[in-house]
Amino acid sequence: MNIGNKILMIVLLLSFQGKQLYSQSINWHADSSQQKHMLNVNVGLDYGLVYGVGYGYKLSTDFPIVLMGSVSLPAGENMLDDYKVKLGGSADVFQIGDVHASVNLNGVFRVYNSDYVRLINFGSDFSASIGYYKQKWMVSGEFGFDKAIVTHIKNGPSYLEIYPLAQDGWYEPATGGNFYYGLQTGISLKQSDIYLKAGKVIAQDFKTTPMFPFYAQLGYNFKFN
Amino acid sequence: MKKVFWFSCAIIACSVMGCKKELLIYEDGFLVPLTADVDPSVPSILVNGSVLHAETYGNPDSSILLVLHGGPGSDYRYLLNCKAFADSGYFVIFYDQRGSGLSQRFPKESYSMDVMVDELTGVINYYRQTPEQKIFVLGHSWGAMLATAYTNEYPDMFSGVILAEPGGFTFQDMLEYVGRTRSVGLLSEVMSDVLYPDQFITGNVDEHAILDYRYALLSVANDGEDSPIGNEGLSPFWRSGAVINIALFEYGDKYGFDWTTNLSSYPNKILFVYSERNTAYGQAYAEHVSSPYNEVQLVQINNAGHDMISFPSGWNAFFPIAINYLNTLN
Repeated sequence: MNIGNKILMIVLLLSFQGKQLYSQSINWHADSSQQKHMLNVNVGLDYGLVYGVGYGYKLSTDFPIVLMGSVSLPAGENMLDDYKVKLGGSADVFQIGDVHASVNLNGVFRVYNSDYVRLINFGSDFSASIGYYKQKWMVSGEFGFDKAIVTHIKNGPSYLEIYPLAQDGWYEPATGGNFYYGLQTGISLKQSDIYLKAGKVIAQDFKTTPMFPFYAQLGYNFKFN
Repeated sequence: MKKVFWFSCAIIACSVMGCKKELLIYEDGFLVPLTADVDPSVPSILVNGSVLHAETYGNPDSSILLVLHGGPGSDYRYLLNCKAFADSGYFVIFYDQRGSGLSQRFPKESYSMDVMVDELTGVINYYRQTPEQKIFVLGHSWGAMLATAYTNEYPDMFSGVILAEPGGFTFQDMLEYVGRTRSVGLLSEVMSDVLYPDQFITGNVDEHAILDYRYALLSVANDGEDSPIGNEGLSPFWRSGAVINIALFEYGDKYGFDWTTNLSSYPNKILFVYSERNTAYGQAYAEHVSSPYNEVQLVQINNAGHDMISFPSGWNAFFPIAINYLNTLN
């Protein structure tokens, strides 16, 4: 599959897929049937210290689906030079009593800039979680895979001084992928959710790790009609 | 939905029109240069079964000055100012250590301190014309650690030793120093520059091209304004050696090291230099690290950072001191 087709697939996935992507934790059992909209703010560790905002819309379907979009920016003096956008949703696919299982699928678009390089990536982030959900609180475990499907690399003047023959362009095959696993917990109060999740990250070969092999997120959801 | 559709079309159009070529990230040559074992145009020597990128300057019969680069995993490009020692009558030898720069890559489990020390012996044997030919060593950072490990094992080999900011001669010292060099704030730009690319580029442990490129991107942090090591700018290099860097750190973590046990047997004075702007080093640490040697000429190089040999202000201060030291022992 060529680069164009891959990008097309990802964009179509983002635009039209029914049960999709998510980046925030949702209490599936909280009494929010009248609340269709959700705003989210969060701070966390996601390959650096990041700040994020998001929006979710709950579909009127037989089983709960929340469509979501989010943006996160890493800390730093140049806050807008790196960022990540996720579009997708989360679906509560299985329930026995207070035990819920959900899947989350995100299309990911992310950008990185430094003196050496500009990286533009289209990727995907799939995760599944299972946990115990009460109206006022929840705790669950999650396991996910963040895939950097196709990346455009543009080497900057500083790196071209190092290696003048460095090639710019779309690199294949998938340039990266990291698994992550961890726990999440939260409390729900009327229109508000506060949640915390944290866990570990390991590269797809299960041998190498990122420079900072952990993730964490503290977030707040505000739900309204 | 209509807006989403047109937005999607716009992204597709921009992205596809931006496509120039499809490139394989795991292949050498696209993002990192070819190594000497696959590119015959790279000057090289064969030592202990490893093709090493190497160059020499000066008369081969003159006293040898062996230049050891830092890292582990850097290369000698940033030390090329040392070619000037050839004009002062020395036979200057540069080589990229195995797994580093443009030298051959090997599996992670093959790297050890014994291998690195044996490789240094191999390089000396490759170039030395007679047993009487004097050999001096100049090591920077990790290269100064390797020079000391070697001196600890073979105290009679070198006629003179120049050490520039070795991380430490014991594992504990080295760990603490490395910790100080990485003491940048979580909120800083350099921290984002270091950590954020891990979601774009990952490589398996045997995918050297990917890992070396990812490691090269970390140089932004080492040479950035926020870094405690105080360099003037980005130091030049050819190709980073990610796997040897990881391997030797893990080797040290597993086995530890103490290369001070026999340094008192080294008979000559050494020259030990440290930089004014590297706030992670400083005079007190330089005195501590150099103390196992019998006689030390300790010099601060002013207006310079850790890569003091690379940049004009540091080099101009360092060279007269170094050549004077060498000449007194030659």
